[in-house]
Amino acid sequence: MATLTRTQPRSFAATLWDWLTTVDHKKIGILYTVTAFITFGLSGIVAWLFRLQLAHPTGQLFTGDTFNQMITVHGAAMLFFFIIQAGLTGFGNFVVPLMLGARDVALPRINAFSYWAFLFSILLVVAGLFFGQLPEAGWTFYYPVSISLGSAFYFAAILLLGISSLLGNANFVATIYNLRAKGMTLWKMPIYVWSVFAASILNLLSLAGLTAATLVTLLDLKLGISLFNPAMGGDPVLFQQFFWFYSHPTVYVMLLPYLGILVEVAATFAKKPVFGYRAMVYAQMGIVLLGMLVWAHHMFTVGESTIFQLAFAFFTALIAVPTGVKLFNILGTLWGGKLRLETPLLWVLGFIFNFLIGGITGVMLSMVPLDYQFHDSYFVVAHFHNVLMAGSGFGAFAGLYYWFPKFFGRMYNERLGRWHFWFFLFGYLFTFLPQYALGFLGMPRRYYTYPTEVAGLLPLNQLSTFGATLFMIGGLIWAWNMISSLRSGARAPANPWGGWTLEWLTASPPKAHNFDVQLPEKFDSERPLFDWEQKGVELAPEDPARIHLPRSSYWPVFTATALFVFFLGLAGWDWPNLVMGVGALFTLVGLVGWALEHEYAHPEHALHETLTGKSNAFMGMIWFLTSEIGLFAILLAGYLYLRLSGHAVPPPERPELWLALVNTFFLVSSSFILHFAAVDLKRGNRSSFMLGLLVAIVFGLVFLGIQSYEFVKAAHHMNWREQLWASAFFLVVGLHGLHVLIGATGLFLAYLQGFFGRILPKQPGTLEAASLYWHLVDGVWLVIVTLFYLW
Amino acid sequence: MRKIGYLGLAGLILAGLAFGHNVAIVSDSLQDREVARLLKWVLAFAVVIFGGVAGTLAYAVYRFRSRPGDTGLPPQFRENPRLEITLTVIPLVIVLILFVLTAQALVKINRPIAGALGVEVTARQFWWDFKIPEEGIRLSSELVVPVGRPVEAKLTSADVIHSFWVPSLAGKTDAIPGQVTYNRFMVTHPGNYYGFCAELCGPSHAQMRFRVLALDPKDYRRFVEALKAYRAPEPQTPEQRRGQKLFLSRCAACHTVKGTPAAGVIGPDLSILGNRVSLASGVLKNTPANLVRWIKDPAAVKPGAKMPAFKDQLSDADLEALAAYLESLKLPGFDFAALPKY
Repeated sequence: MATLTRTQPRSFAATLWDWLTTVDHKKIGILYTVTAFITFGLSGIVAWLFRLQLAHPTGQLFTGDTFNQMITVHGAAMLFFFIIQAGLTGFGNFVVPLMLGARDVALPRINAFSYWAFLFSILLVVAGLFFGQLPEAGWTFYYPVSISLGSAFYFAAILLLGISSLLGNANFVATIYNLRAKGMTLWKMPIYVWSVFAASILNLLSLAGLTAATLVTLLDLKLGISLFNPAMGGDPVLFQQFFWFYSHPTVYVMLLPYLGILVEVAATFAKKPVFGYRAMVYAQMGIVLLGMLVWAHHMFTVGESTIFQLAFAFFTALIAVPTGVKLFNILGTLWGGKLRLETPLLWVLGFIFNFLIGGITGVMLSMVPLDYQFHDSYFVVAHFHNVLMAGSGFGAFAGLYYWFPKFFGRMYNERLGRWHFWFFLFGYLFTFLPQYALGFLGMPRRYYTYPTEVAGLLPLNQLSTFGATLFMIGGLIWAWNMISSLRSGARAPANPWGGWTLEWLTASPPKAHNFDVQLPEKFDSERPLFDWEQKGVELAPEDPARIHLPRSSYWPVFTATALFVFFLGLAGWDWPNLVMGVGALFTLVGLVGWALEHEYAHPEHALHETLTGKSNAFMGMIWFLTSEIGLFAILLAGYLYLRLSGHAVPPPERPELWLALVNTFFLVSSSFILHFAAVDLKRGNRSSFMLGLLVAIVFGLVFLGIQSYEFVKAAHHMNWREQLWASAFFLVVGLHGLHVLIGATGLFLAYLQGFFGRILPKQPGTLEAASLYWHLVDGVWLVIVTLFYLW
Repeated sequence: MRKIGYLGLAGLILAGLAFGHNVAIVSDSLQDREVARLLKWVLAFAVVIFGGVAGTLAYAVYRFRSRPGDTGLPPQFRENPRLEITLTVIPLVIVLILFVLTAQALVKINRPIAGALGVEVTARQFWWDFKIPEEGIRLSSELVVPVGRPVEAKLTSADVIHSFWVPSLAGKTDAIPGQVTYNRFMVTHPGNYYGFCAELCGPSHAQMRFRVLALDPKDYRRFVEALKAYRAPEPQTPEQRRGQKLFLSRCAACHTVKGTPAAGVIGPDLSILGNRVSLASGVLKNTPANLVRWIKDPAAVKPGAKMPAFKDQLSDADLEALAAYLESLKLPGFDFAALPKY
């Protein structure tokens, strides 16, 4: 098939503008993938450099803070910007809509915004360079060692990335619910789509932990508001509870998409269906569930009670079972097939071997007395590189080589691909197997030097550095393969591997509208191309008049840039500052521009039928809200713990209840008014709808006004720098106030849309999502009144 | 070929584990017995599972690789419920067995021990301070304990989170500001045991080490009694006298030397520096030259060290005098450097 999209030469500026404003899921997928893999390369180089430092204990290349900055940036970049992204947002954005037979994702502009926010969060981490300090407290930024300016940039980056990934995850879930081809039931979805679905839900449920940990640490640094500061009765371990509540589940966010990819590659290269499809889906969901229950196995050494440790050890050991199921099923998929031993499959085979070791050492780590030894030693370093680098990382490369022809329309060089694989496999074995032994010998992690008196440390470290050098050579081969293949690789056919999922029905690279043909409405299994081929189904061409694509928009990148400026101000200077103000103002401008712009050339095309009958915005917002509920739930759980354990004692003079009750009246009535306004809209009573919306907004503003008054008054008799309860009060009530402000902004956008006639009874624009958000904010307030004013 | 490669790798891993096993376990305290038992079990299962899965993988690759010219479809089977259930139940049973063993061991290990020697440990950036209230003694950077008596280290931190770890004796426990945690161990062989900080705590995290010096009960008793009665010996040479004067004027605000007016508690106790096997919190060998190097510019040895540099304030002769004085501070009759190292 000809690649029509590539025939017209365009100026560089036009191309750049096109990429900046694109909402095409494929281009966004490419942006994510390329950014993620470049990050991988760069932070791999950083790792090699600090392995050089460790080649000898007296090395002076990178010591002290410099070394700490390097390991921090390496870890943060590899985890947050590579491994979470490549398999989920990178391949996911490109491939999932294709696999579903859709033309785009549910919320294309949100998708573009997610990417730009992601890119800017990378820039935020390194922005510290211009302020003289990179984050240096480890990617885990434990309190209080992370109270530093460099870490502030890391906090800002995490918060911005959090917004990006929540929107991205909600978008995936909405896409999968709403935009599957007719006839493709959930049980007919390719396994990779299932794994993106599972990973997205897991992230939505757990990310709040990270947000809470980051937010409180940032507030501690900038304002002295803290739940963790021991000087005022706070608990530094609570930070770790928050942090790991997210950061363990996210290990599975880093794994699930790759398991999906590996299974797809195994099936294609064995020419067989997925073995144990249902078992695999259940295993994934089991991982999602158990994954939420194991976080404290990172905290066996903080001195919690034995029973607490055993509970977490139990679930940790148990999670090996569904993970094992996945491994067996990949093996089962290969069994009896005709294995084409080409590059993508080599990575799958490598994965099985590596992950097997990583899984076994993972079970060893769940055995608490052994963990007391292994924790924070090189054994753990070896283990998580084993599962993440040699596990998920191998999955990322399997996916990269597998979909490279589809992404770019060119084949990669097979011979170089194999060299890359073998260098990485042996690089991994030489780098990380010695590290298990180093852990046994007692070498702690994050050490830039080590005592030679302890026998074995020197040769094993040198072996490990040698392995890292093999990685570097493999990386160079890989980079060369990618660059030369992009420029002059052979033209790729539509379906180079004989794959049976829908992405192989499109051209390589796919056209902007993805599918030229009408998809049949009957799906027999998760591999429709095989079924249709067997049944001899003819695919009729699609009528071009029925194809509607969303329009490019510069508002996502504009808004993301403005938000970046805001977060830069948040990290770089004392609060409040001009940079924050400018960023916030332009973010608002961006949102207004965004809200008033039509997503489709013909607005009615936005009303695509969805499988569930609910709008995409509704679906996305519902899932987004789960994470908001999670955020308040986590902070409130932290507050309850501090209160019940006697750390956070309310002062004698508290903020007044009657004021809070007045505020409750305003907020609750605004919710009712908003509800009836929406009913009015459905009935076509526009003026009454507009009035109701306005009143709801005004009530929200009154709420904020009263709350500001209350805060100023409370600040006179409560010191949040010294009293833990006051800190918790300002933290949670203030955060809720921020939500009221955001909610009111959403309603304001809906009001503007109504004012310019953009809201119609069947086309609610921003209203639906903004109302949902408003009702949630309202519900949370009732809990807050109970816990902070009544109790 | 591949099969042989995999077998070789399996051998390598097992050899590594066995090697680690032998090195890590040097005593036969309760804790080490439990750890050794758990390791044996899990390694036995590991060998079986690793061999089984890696072997299956190697066989599958060999047996089912596609041959040139063979273009037909392989059998398109989708599941095998009986096999799948079996392969789910086997790991389930294994992890349950391991969990029960873990639970048994953990309960034993975490049980407080009656009659244990209590040691109060305070971690600071970047050194360790030890107090044994029962004996009324303070030791910095090098803890002296008796062989054969359980030790209960009561940990806390004065600044950020640290972690107390003596790999050859016990697992690690975090030292957390504002909280108290416990690390329990018992030494069964006299020796000089290496200790580390195992939680990233700042630029010199890698240099925050310590020693546990385990003595025979007789020697330990002798040491404690000697230390309790200890008064710093009077300087013997003019150089030492000069060093003492310098010490009292420059160093006494932070450091303690028993029997002198120096009673600072911000820094380590230097009363018996001459007995120590190491300087700078377990980092440098205890020699006068190293001591001079350290006092000249601590941050050059340990980035971020809180002790100020004296290179601009003291001449080389001053520094050597100071070192000579400090090295003269010792209890006679103890040679810790001769203890076997672990």
